[in-house]
Amino acid sequence: MTKIRASIVLVDDDHDFLEMNSGILEARGYRVSCFTDVDQAWQSMEAETPDLVITDLMMKSLDSGFSLAKKIKFDPRFTDIPVVIVTAAASKRGFDFNPRSQEELEVMRADAFFDKPVSPELLIAKVEELLA
Amino acid sequence: MNEQGIRALVVDDEFGIREGCRRILTEEGFQVTTASDGLEALEIFEKEPHYSFALVDLLMPRLGGLELIKRLRAMEPDLLLIIITAHATIDTAVEGTKQGAYSYIPKPFTPEELLLTIRNGLERQALALEAKRLREEREKRLLEVASERSKSGTILRCITDGLVVINLEKLVVLRNNAAARIFPTAVKQNVPFSITELEYPKIEELIDEVLGGDPGPRIVSRELAMGKNTYMVNLSPVIEPSGETSGAVAVFRDITELKKLETAKSMFVSMVAHELKNPLAATEGWLNLLLSGLVEHDPKEERHMIERSYLRVKTLRTLVSELLSITAIETGNFQLHRSTVEVAGIVREAVEAARERAVGKGIALTLNELLPEKEKTALADREALLLVFSNLIDNAIKYTPERGTVTIQVSQNGMYVSVSVKDDGVGMKPEELDRIFDEFYRVKNEYTSDIPGTGLGLSLAKRLVELHQGQICADSTPGKGSIFKVGIPRS
Repeated sequence: MTKIRASIVLVDDDHDFLEMNSGILEARGYRVSCFTDVDQAWQSMEAETPDLVITDLMMKSLDSGFSLAKKIKFDPRFTDIPVVIVTAAASKRGFDFNPRSQEELEVMRADAFFDKPVSPELLIAKVEELLA
Repeated sequence: MNEQGIRALVVDDEFGIREGCRRILTEEGFQVTTASDGLEALEIFEKEPHYSFALVDLLMPRLGGLELIKRLRAMEPDLLLIIITAHATIDTAVEGTKQGAYSYIPKPFTPEELLLTIRNGLERQALALEAKRLREEREKRLLEVASERSKSGTILRCITDGLVVINLEKLVVLRNNAAARIFPTAVKQNVPFSITELEYPKIEELIDEVLGGDPGPRIVSRELAMGKNTYMVNLSPVIEPSGETSGAVAVFRDITELKKLETAKSMFVSMVAHELKNPLAATEGWLNLLLSGLVEHDPKEERHMIERSYLRVKTLRTLVSELLSITAIETGNFQLHRSTVEVAGIVREAVEAARERAVGKGIALTLNELLPEKEKTALADREALLLVFSNLIDNAIKYTPERGTVTIQVSQNGMYVSVSVKDDGVGMKPEELDRIFDEFYRVKNEYTSDIPGTGLGLSLAKRLVELHQGQICADSTPGKGSIFKVGIPRS
């Protein structure tokens, strides 16, 4: 049952999503640390390496989520940590972030991509799959 | 020839000749005036120059015939001048014709000789006048054509759209000043010059498209990017009255600013869509969670989820109202319903409406009214001002931690009723302060992430204040608090 005790870093500048997603994950027994800011999330990761990161895309800047994902994947300490991007920004400023293929997902340095709101079942299924 | 009313001037120092001529001519229906020398003739002529012909003796006292002819000719180029000379000095008479006399009659002469000469002269004069009239008419027309041409030229030069005419040999045969600005390489070229000198190959392609249209030449419209600018290019064939195509005319309209507006508009639309989607997604997420049964059944938890959903839906509704107001202001459809209002009263109302929220957070909400009784009214839209003040007070409460203070002050500042809303809340960084009146801008940090808002409140407040010819400004220190000041012109 080690997977159930896995720790997850959750980054979102929207309080509601932090609260509902952490609620969903905690209900499944995960340890969840919530952050509204990418830099704070990064600081906490340096102190304690999480098993998975779920991040919003657009926070302070347009690509906060992308840059966090990239930073994680390029850091030898964290390179194996799965990153899930959850965003409502699918079409902000005419950009369509929704990846159409596995290749596009890899370009984003993400392991999964969800449009907000992600259903609790889907989120848990994906988290369990990535942590398996 | 009808001689009735034709006016004649007879100038001779010999009384007999004068009178003889007068009688002969009067009998024929001419109106005759006589003068006994050149000076007298000049005086008569200056007073009344409407003579068709003059009979002039050469040898006269005071002013001789030759000099008189010269002067009369100068005064009236069309006047028919006939010399009558007694001494048959042919040389002098010839000299006279050189000065502009039509002919000469040697004295003595018979009445028939006199009349024949006069009639021939008048006939010739009539022909000359007709020729002159025709010439003048033609010249006038030519002048009109010339001015018409220069008018078209001036119009072409002044058109702000670039205009280029290209013939079938792909030579630029006409280009106006605006076109020269669009194609700097073409400025130095004198028409005609090759289309390649425009250094814009796309134009050649478009010309081919116009001229090589199937079944025949056709109109082509394209949007073209040239350097930093975007042009709408309309090309049409030049069709001669015979029906033949002789080339193409291209009109370049600079639509750079329009394109910028278009981009700004679509950016605004996608921002609106995003701002609508966020609260909707949050609400959907909460409701989904409630329905999924994944979270343990707990009435307190469930109520919390419903409350969060309610809050987001409420924000969404406010967002839509604010968007509608902003759009109405932008399109000029927002009507201010102005009346004489007591500004302090509206502020008081806004404060009382916010009282409960302030109490809930343990915030001390204070209103200071420092306005002299007679200075407190403004000609304003009550509802609009209430919205402005409520917005500012709500913001102050939102961004002030528990047990903070929010102080509202109403005072007079010159021609304005000044309302300030001061808090000791989280404050803003200078770069954040710069953007707070922008649409959808919200300060994002750890403290603000939990605060619902549309990002339109201050933008709307600013527009409403400006509709009142008022002013709004803000100042802030991070961690210390913010102050917003509104000035509404006093009535």
